[in-house]
Amino acid sequence: MKVLELKSVVIALKNIKEKFRSWQAIFFGMGFPIMFTIIFYLMFHDVDPETGIDVYSYSIPGMITYAVCLGTTSAAIVFTRDKSTGILERLDTMPTGRKNIFLGTLISESIFLTFQIIVMFILSYAILGQYFVGYFELLIGFLVSLLFGILSVGIGIIIASFSKNEEAASGIALTFVMPVIFASGAMVPFESQIVYFMPPYWAKQIFLQFTVLGDGLTSNLYSSSMIGYTATETSIPIWGGILILIAMTFLFIFIGIKLFQKKTKL
Amino acid sequence: MGCKKKISICIEIQNLVKNFKDVKAVNGISLNIKEGELFGLLGPNGAGKTTLIRMLTTTLTPSSGDAKINKFSIKTQKNEIVKLIGVCPQDNIFYNELTAEENVIFVAQMHGIPLQESKERTNAMLQKLGIAGKKRWAKKFSGGMKKRLNLVMSLIHEPKILFLDEPTAGLDPQARRIVWDFIRELKGKGNTILLLTHDMLEADALSDHIAIIDNGEIIANGTPAELKDEHGGENVLEISFYKEADVAIMKNQLKEISFVQNWKEFGERTLLIPFRGGMKNYLKILQKMSEKIIDVENMKFRQNSLEDVFLNLTGRRLRD
Repeated sequence: MKVLELKSVVIALKNIKEKFRSWQAIFFGMGFPIMFTIIFYLMFHDVDPETGIDVYSYSIPGMITYAVCLGTTSAAIVFTRDKSTGILERLDTMPTGRKNIFLGTLISESIFLTFQIIVMFILSYAILGQYFVGYFELLIGFLVSLLFGILSVGIGIIIASFSKNEEAASGIALTFVMPVIFASGAMVPFESQIVYFMPPYWAKQIFLQFTVLGDGLTSNLYSSSMIGYTATETSIPIWGGILILIAMTFLFIFIGIKLFQKKTKL
Repeated sequence: MGCKKKISICIEIQNLVKNFKDVKAVNGISLNIKEGELFGLLGPNGAGKTTLIRMLTTTLTPSSGDAKINKFSIKTQKNEIVKLIGVCPQDNIFYNELTAEENVIFVAQMHGIPLQESKERTNAMLQKLGIAGKKRWAKKFSGGMKKRLNLVMSLIHEPKILFLDEPTAGLDPQARRIVWDFIRELKGKGNTILLLTHDMLEADALSDHIAIIDNGEIIANGTPAELKDEHGGENVLEISFYKEADVAIMKNQLKEISFVQNWKEFGERTLLIPFRGGMKNYLKILQKMSEKIIDVENMKFRQNSLEDVFLNLTGRRLRD
């Protein structure tokens, strides 16, 4: 079977087509992070005299983490819409299969997240000229952001399980995203142990340590530890942080799918 | 992929029950629908029609009982059933930000039809229902176009068993006629169709067989003619004559017709003749009249309808 005729790919392409036709989705997914990036850049655009690095470079990973965290809202809206408008039930009368629906949506959301991250990279590094260690480290940052984006989709599915309509889903997701982003210290420092329970902390911290603070890939992976909320090193190595992020991603996706299936049980 | 030839029963419903907390939405329905039949399920809103169709199309699990679609159980063989059926839901359900063509091709691909073939079939079918070449998004369609798109999406994979839930609700007469013709064409191709409607004219015009559902139960079942004969009460023929003498002649003629038991006179030149037996008996009365009378001033015939059937069975009108 041709790849383009695989049902999950067909669903993904359909989702992308719909998303790019909705200016609200584009504005929400792209406009907000771009706006914050520019505002923060204008506010914190000073060069650190010790390192010679633009201070704002330290905020870029948090900003990108915030951008992909909006994937929660996006996924919550998509799944709630399909549930509340009857599209899901209509798909259930066809030989589609729920696994294709979940997989297709994960693919489309990942593609949109990729697009989001690339735009943020271009804005931050190519246009605003912020500091980064090297291109390979940037690729690691990209992958970590994408992984966190998929985790956000999982949270979005959980929210969709309990939401009656798109407005409710959007409201709940936003109410969730903003406090979590701030409580994780992703956008502004937050000196509390709470950060360790917030998924964005792990994404932002790994991204930051690889692309701005690190001394290269090998050093980061094998001898660096995660920096905690007190700005001192913890006992968790960076690769341990990556494993925690991967585990969280699988956990949220698993819980999301299970809950959604249970709540939409026939 | 249609119903198996040896067995002419295509949909077999066995004591199907669906409870929502204390409400019995479907209360022990049993029905057999034959292959190639257009079976109308007629009932008022809230009678349990949609709940029944949702169970038959495997999107709702029955509280008890079972149904077989082409011998496959709705409880345990969902995957087999969804390959056989097409479902046109009551509400227009499609992706608003896709065009009609994109929506239909998407559904075709969900049924495993290759892309190229999906495109060809889609164009042909949209053409037939008059919505081809519309490049605007489906949400910008008129109500009639949305309804037709909804229908095309349920047919693109050429299902042998089709569930149509109020397919013409809200359509103007012209659009309704197009959909009716299309449904007749599908029936002509041998599709088994379960048509859910609260429109008695639609049920009467299209169905081979009708079951009337009320409060989750089947209260009558038969061909439209059988139902009207059995439960529809009497037809009434009203004839006004030019001459008073013709009234007397007609009364004599009526005495010779066994199925006419009585009549009433209105004024000096009008007769009101109630009778049972539908069009066949109507023609017999006319034939008898024409033996002796060559002209009448006016004639009105009120045939009993499925509305009368429902009224006689439940004491309520279908739209109450």
